[in-house]
Amino acid sequence: MARLIGLFSFLLVGNSFADAAPPISYGRDIRPILSDNCFFCHGQDPNQRKADIRFDTRQGQKESGAIVPGKPEKSELLTRILSHEAGQQMPPPKSNRKLTDQQKSLIKQWITEGAEFEDHWAFQTPERPKLPDVAGVTNPIDRFIRSKLKDRGLAPSPPADKTNLIRRVTLDLIGLPPSPEEIDAFLKDNSPNAYEKLLDRLFASPHYGERMALPWLDAARYADSNGFQQDGDTFQWVWRDWVVRALNTNMPFDQFTVEQLAGDLLPNATRDQKIASAFNRNHMVNGEGGAIPEEQRFVILFDRVDTTATNWLGLTVACAQCHDHKYDPITQKDYYSLLAAFNNVSESGVAGRQSSKMRVSPPFIDAPSPEHQAINDSYEKLITGLKSALAEKRSLWERNVASEKTSAPDEIRKLLLMTAKSAPKDRNAKITAYFEEKVEPKLVAELKAAEKERTEFRNDEWPKVMIMADDRPRETHILDRGEYLKKKEPVTFATPEFLPPLPKDAPKNRLGFARWLVSAEHPLTARVAVNRAWQTFMGQGLVKTSEDFGVQSQRPIHRDLIDWLAVEFRESGWDMKKLNRLIVSSATYRQSSRVTQEHLAHDPENQYYARFPRMRLPAMILRDVALAASGLLVQKIGGKPVYPYQPEGIWETLAITKERDFTYPKSHGKDLYRRSLYTFWRRTVGPANLFDASSRQVCKVKSSVTNTPLHALTTLNDTTWAESARVLAERIITQSSSNDERITNVMRRILSRPPTEREQTIIKAMLTRQTDFFRKDPKAAQAAVAVGEWPVNQKLDAVELAVWTQICLAIFNLDEALTRE
Amino acid sequence: MDSLIRENHARVTRRQLFGHGVSGVGLAALASLLGRDAAAAQPGLPGLPHVAGKADRMIYLWQGGGPSHLDLYDPKPTLEKYRLQDLPESVRGTTRLSTMTANYKKWPILPSVKPYKKWGKSGLEISTLLPHIGSIADEICLVRSMNTEAVNHAPGVTFFLTGSQIPGRPSLGAWLAYGLGAEADNLPAFVVMTSSDKARSCGQLFYDYYWGSGFLPSKYQGTRFRASGDPVPYLANPNGVSRESRRDLLNGIQELNQEHLKQYGDPEIDTRIAQYEMAFQMQSSVPGLLDFRDEPKDVLESYGPQVHEPGTYARHCLIARRLIERGTRYVQLMHSGWDQHSNLFSHFETQCRDTDQPSAALVKDLKRLGLLDKTLVVWGGEFGRTPFGQGPADKPNGRDHFGRAFSLWMAGGGVKKGHAHGETDEFAWNIVKDRVHVHDHQATILNLLGIDHQRLTFRHQGRQYRLTDVHGEVVKGVIA
Repeated sequence: MARLIGLFSFLLVGNSFADAAPPISYGRDIRPILSDNCFFCHGQDPNQRKADIRFDTRQGQKESGAIVPGKPEKSELLTRILSHEAGQQMPPPKSNRKLTDQQKSLIKQWITEGAEFEDHWAFQTPERPKLPDVAGVTNPIDRFIRSKLKDRGLAPSPPADKTNLIRRVTLDLIGLPPSPEEIDAFLKDNSPNAYEKLLDRLFASPHYGERMALPWLDAARYADSNGFQQDGDTFQWVWRDWVVRALNTNMPFDQFTVEQLAGDLLPNATRDQKIASAFNRNHMVNGEGGAIPEEQRFVILFDRVDTTATNWLGLTVACAQCHDHKYDPITQKDYYSLLAAFNNVSESGVAGRQSSKMRVSPPFIDAPSPEHQAINDSYEKLITGLKSALAEKRSLWERNVASEKTSAPDEIRKLLLMTAKSAPKDRNAKITAYFEEKVEPKLVAELKAAEKERTEFRNDEWPKVMIMADDRPRETHILDRGEYLKKKEPVTFATPEFLPPLPKDAPKNRLGFARWLVSAEHPLTARVAVNRAWQTFMGQGLVKTSEDFGVQSQRPIHRDLIDWLAVEFRESGWDMKKLNRLIVSSATYRQSSRVTQEHLAHDPENQYYARFPRMRLPAMILRDVALAASGLLVQKIGGKPVYPYQPEGIWETLAITKERDFTYPKSHGKDLYRRSLYTFWRRTVGPANLFDASSRQVCKVKSSVTNTPLHALTTLNDTTWAESARVLAERIITQSSSNDERITNVMRRILSRPPTEREQTIIKAMLTRQTDFFRKDPKAAQAAVAVGEWPVNQKLDAVELAVWTQICLAIFNLDEALTRE
Repeated sequence: MDSLIRENHARVTRRQLFGHGVSGVGLAALASLLGRDAAAAQPGLPGLPHVAGKADRMIYLWQGGGPSHLDLYDPKPTLEKYRLQDLPESVRGTTRLSTMTANYKKWPILPSVKPYKKWGKSGLEISTLLPHIGSIADEICLVRSMNTEAVNHAPGVTFFLTGSQIPGRPSLGAWLAYGLGAEADNLPAFVVMTSSDKARSCGQLFYDYYWGSGFLPSKYQGTRFRASGDPVPYLANPNGVSRESRRDLLNGIQELNQEHLKQYGDPEIDTRIAQYEMAFQMQSSVPGLLDFRDEPKDVLESYGPQVHEPGTYARHCLIARRLIERGTRYVQLMHSGWDQHSNLFSHFETQCRDTDQPSAALVKDLKRLGLLDKTLVVWGGEFGRTPFGQGPADKPNGRDHFGRAFSLWMAGGGVKKGHAHGETDEFAWNIVKDRVHVHDHQATILNLLGIDHQRLTFRHQGRQYRLTDVHGEVVKGVIA
């Protein structure tokens, strides 16, 4: 009967719980309720624990005596949650926590069925699940997805059409739109492996690493300045280039992990491996006057531990900074034992200083490129040359003065003629001063200028990358309430107790920690990584809370799939390209993204993937698409950051600092058209046109897609888009004189497809009306085409160019253009 | 993300209720159909207000740098007799000080630089340096017992505005926009304006995480109006593009988007259409907002002569009022220049003069328009300043940061009028009555706006986060 009531309540709530059909699962149905409502006072933290009762462990539930398996009427847990009496009711009304009737009946059902306890799924080493039997599909991903779809009575969507598919996968893998030639080649290729060939090309593209780096840069809170007052610039872009290279060369994820967390500790670490460890020096640094260095050092340490834990463990350990974690089995001791591995860096907590512009704090290494080396060498050569020329001239002059061939004041001549013994101490200084001021002032000025330039070059250009180093061993303590002045007992590095132990022979430091993360029995690392890959291609993770795999996380509908992918990923040798390829090869990825009434009715959130999720492109990629479609894009990979168009006074709030000039040093020429990834990221004021991006202040592993009018204003009015539209307009005007063809060309360059008949009609009407506007006002047309620094093609008629510029801008702003569908 | 999903549901459901797709509806109808819940105008959370609150909008007059409580709001006449004497250790205790003064051998007491006066019927004591604020004494509720743990600016401001000293949490304004939604369709719900004293004396920067959305969706972050160029980035059309031509182009874009909606059926395309309409409206509403020609002369004058200078505190005060009038939920007006380490006898007076009149004018103006009751105004900074002097021990010329005890004031929005809350000891060093911690202050602000600070939460990293973290109690003593 209880079971029937339970069932009935499911029906009432609708289909969102339909898959929670009996028998009940503790992990899926019960723990989330207990965790949300009870663990705060009856969980892991002994300081919060009330009545010495805990429900978060098997033993705790047993010892509580409040749960009598099979006997709900004798279980005090149920009595209390059903009670409305003050002092009896649980959770207490004061707590702002409340169980729904449905949750109450679930708990009753669970007790009736025997109150079976399960350990949290994500904390158990994943085992490869059996592939479901599904006819007609071979990709393992599809077998899991189709099997769940079938259970739900949903059908997968038909395959996306080929133009749609090539745009989708090209944007996903290299972050650029396919060119019309690439589209044609793909459309013409009717061989059964046409798609595989396309993937071969994309995975081999040097732009693959640029695209795949984007989420990793967010996660690594990478930026080009320290943040806070002074907001000094850094050279961490050298690390950014390392990431792009590692992704392009398909560095296995275990190596990717070890090098970034502990590259500096590897035996005979190479310069690149040390650079990789800059991952954990990408944090903010507070350079405020009056800031207490040790306090700031701990802020950095906490950030380092949180970022590492979120990225690899999918755990929010920050809670354990002040107290034992309320939900996950992480104690405060675990937290500080983990922190001990990161606490041996010789940093002081303040931002170091190279110049008024650059602030790099130790430890750091020089990381010059061959180009830097060459510039440096030519400075050396120039300065050595000038110095020896000066020395030669000096000795000649001295000889001449001595032999009275050249005149000089008596004092100088006397000094020169003195023997070393009898000469006053300042003899040389006086002669030098005279020689430099009166005899060779020009050459000396040249030398000084060259030396000044070299110093500036060495301070401002010569890359010094902040890296990790265990060069200052420290004792680590548990901190009372996380306050750096309140030290409690000392701890040494250890991994959290609830996870597999560190192998006996492992080094007890970051290197041991990093290798432990990628060990075969680790339950979290592989799951967290495959979930993030899934999120990149499918919009959200299989575990939607990609930053949290703890007991409060969202339990995945496709748990088997995530486990299968995790095992596959690990056993493939942590092959990132192989994993990504598996995902984008699946029918699930290749299906249409059209939304039907049935989808909206039965799976509005697209949790079952009966369609491919449409997603607005990240602003960084939108900008790249505009540049690429117009042909302005400069495809150079890597190097120091650039300063493309930003609104006037973008850094005006910083201008209050007298220490340095904070005028935005706008680039010119090619650097205006580099990929967004290379745009200088000032931590205090991010680029205005890269909306919805992570602030790069703290680790962010989940992207945010929102729609505000400000975003629309950006893609309609920013010079980047307006100029791209104009240059694209020049291109299509010169390519053809037919309006039909021009429209087709614009559409194909931006949307990858030709227009429909109806669209042709609409766009032609727009053309006519825009022509009317600009004909009436030719000056406006001149102004409209003069946008940006790219020279205007003077051969074209300004009115015609202005009109087509508007059309191109309109197409850039279509929902379809902004979306990966 | 839950709320996004919910909004999506709402749209879908409404479309189903209307029984047809959007494609058959004309543009104007469409805009009104979607107007209130897409893009700019966001619905608030269901279940709000949680508590009866008088205010539904707010202006924070942020005084950056740490205004000296002892010199402005917390009179200690008896301190005169201790002038330049070492602050007794029994008073000083183990208070954490910044590295600028922590290693002092002697902490010379420095009484307030100017006399105080009793103002209005309430007789609130406020420095004669602030005659205009004095003139609204009967409207304000002075809190003399503020307390923060922060020692330096950025952590201090971050703490006040996000509830944590470390950047990354959603700011107060983001929480308000998320919880209460937006009233205006054509203006941002959360606007920020920043200014500094002309001398740029203190070099304190205003970082964008002071108005960031943290882990809340980024649409809730504050929009900073800039003093130069477009007030909102990219507000103006590209050169040569007239409003008419843009309108026409947008019609074309919308028509094409509707074609696509027919094909794809994704309700997100509806959102896009509304988003572009809103952008177009904002292009006229923002310039209208900044055009003061419709203001009576005496009103303009009341804000002082700087009201005509772009980028000034005075001008921002008037813009704040105009925003509030037009339905913006929260304006965060940030002004720096209160960091008197060494210029207490030179620059401080100028700083008072620049901020005194506009702050008071804003309160009066809101009252004149009948808006004060539902608008909460807060004046305050990240901490106060040390009652001992900084600089030469025999001739100190400034004060260091001091978070242990300091003052701020509130007005309108359901707070007590002509009232002083809390007390410090005779040295203005220790709080002796009714301590108000930063989290209590935040809980109180939310309460005045109808929000239970324990219930406005967002799930992130497996736990319910809130502005007040796990702390904060509503200060009943300031509520009318």
